[in-house]
Amino acid sequence: MIITENLTKYFGQIKAVEKLNLHIVKGEIFGLLGPNGAGKTTTVRMLNTLTLPTSGRAEINGLDVVREATKVKRLIGVAPQELNLDRELTGRENLRLHGLLHQMKGIEERIEYLLKWTGLSERADSLVKTYSGGMQRRLLVARSIMHRPGVLFLDEPTVGLDPQVRRQIWDLIRNLKQQGVTVLLTTHYIEEAELLCHRVGILSHGKLIVLGTPPELKAQIGRFVVESLDDGVTNYRLFEGREEAYRFAQTRGDDVVIRESNLEDVFIKLTGERIER
Amino acid sequence: MNFYPIFLREMLIFKRRLLRIGYLFSTMVTPLLYLVAFGLGLGRGISIEGVSYLAFVVPGICAMSSMTNSYSWIATTIAVGRLHFKTFDEFQVSPVTATDIMLGEVLSGVVRGLFASSLILVAGAIFGAGFPKSPVFFPVWLLNCLIFASFGVIAGFRAKSHEDTATFSNFFIMPMAFFCGTFFPVDRLPYFIKAVLYFLPLTHASKALRASFLGQGVEIISLGIMLAVFVVCFYWGVITIRRSNR
Ligand SMILES: Nc1ncnc2c1ncn2[C@@H]1O[C@H](COP(=O)(O)OP(=O)(O)OP(=O)(O)O)[C@@H](O)[C@H]1O
Ligand SMILES: [Mg+2]
Repeated sequence: MIITENLTKYFGQIKAVEKLNLHIVKGEIFGLLGPNGAGKTTTVRMLNTLTLPTSGRAEINGLDVVREATKVKRLIGVAPQELNLDRELTGRENLRLHGLLHQMKGIEERIEYLLKWTGLSERADSLVKTYSGGMQRRLLVARSIMHRPGVLFLDEPTVGLDPQVRRQIWDLIRNLKQQGVTVLLTTHYIEEAELLCHRVGILSHGKLIVLGTPPELKAQIGRFVVESLDDGVTNYRLFEGREEAYRFAQTRGDDVVIRESNLEDVFIKLTGERIER
Repeated sequence: MNFYPIFLREMLIFKRRLLRIGYLFSTMVTPLLYLVAFGLGLGRGISIEGVSYLAFVVPGICAMSSMTNSYSWIATTIAVGRLHFKTFDEFQVSPVTATDIMLGEVLSGVVRGLFASSLILVAGAIFGAGFPKSPVFFPVWLLNCLIFASFGVIAGFRAKSHEDTATFSNFFIMPMAFFCGTFFPVDRLPYFIKAVLYFLPLTHASKALRASFLGQGVEIISLGIMLAVFVVCFYWGVITIRRSNR
């Protein structure tokens, strides 16, 4: 369980996160969405005990992330946005060190299992610097769950991956869902959030601007979108029902698309900006 | 207490480096040049304080190389790991204490310092300088590595960029390498420089290493100062690590 109360972080004049209130329940996969610089990583780092909040507080399973940081560290798994693996070590060594850092028992069995799970068995004894980006990302996720944390932070776990590897990581996350792990996932891929998350929150300039399940949020703005090209600019119109959307589309020229609305539309509607890069 | 994984990580990386000829060569070449140039070239036939210059300079170069090797690797790997590869975040989200991190890193610096300087001792022996005559040599040697490995951790954690560690090295480590009684006795310098040098740990390290190498008595005050410097630096390092992620 993750609770934040008015969690705030300023970097000098920059308001990275402002008065964030979240309540993420056990076993939930929660998606934090937002464009670059929205404050996703800063939020995650405060919850990971890596960054001190400027004000407000946060707790994980009832433990304060500032005052009880060491206890919090035992509970959490972290896959940061940067690939911070030890590049001069092998994949297996990276996992082994993580197990030792957490004073685990049965390290070698767990390593074998995770290597198989991530499809890295064959390359387990090569140096990480010889891995592709996708392999490193998978190893990063494997390392974050090595010690079987109950609460997991995945900061953009699929950024820059090809669609196939992205699906592999999604499968990994779905597996965790079945195991009842609480996951805070950040992303700016809309599809990813819709597919994996029970609930999503959208951050913009450090503030939480919406919170809810993907169907709820889409229902709020209208379930159908008509995209039409008017004078070289794509316009979006939202509609409650398919018929309405269809009728409107007929009044437009050839360049029209009718589709179901997505979280991107929610974000554009609320901020006028786009989330995806 | 869980410093082992931190130590192990450094040792795994060190082991791979050792297997590369280039690394061995580059750690060895500078001290060996000094040894050959000063010990065999410049100092041939000269005796100083009643011993051959070679026997005088071998413990000095040993002090120097145990200092630089304990310090510089640690300082740069920590700075680069923290600032560039972010590998230290992994330690800082794991349930290890700042003391664990300090101890693991310092011990790995000690291993490197002892390794590099033991090669100097071997080379010195081959050239005819003999081996340490008093067992006191070994704890002093170790203490010297402990001190400068601790400095290395502090520099690595305080650096704002990895060039910072080189700056610190140029202004602090390198002058010590030359002036702290490594190549010539401190007594030959003007009084005010001597006074400054008295407070630098390497002055005491080279004095104590030389005395024990030659089988003379080691001044207790030197050992005391070195021990005190180590304790202070170790503690300072722990505090630096504790504050570094905030
Ligand atoms: N260490 C820092 N020092 C100064 N400013 C920072 C620091 N870290 C983050 N910021 C600023 O805080 C804001 C939020 O950054 P953050 O990294 O949390 O965004 P993000 O949502 O993770 O973005 P991205 O999608 O690019 O990863 C940005 O304006 C960023 O410049
Ligand atoms: Mg980010």
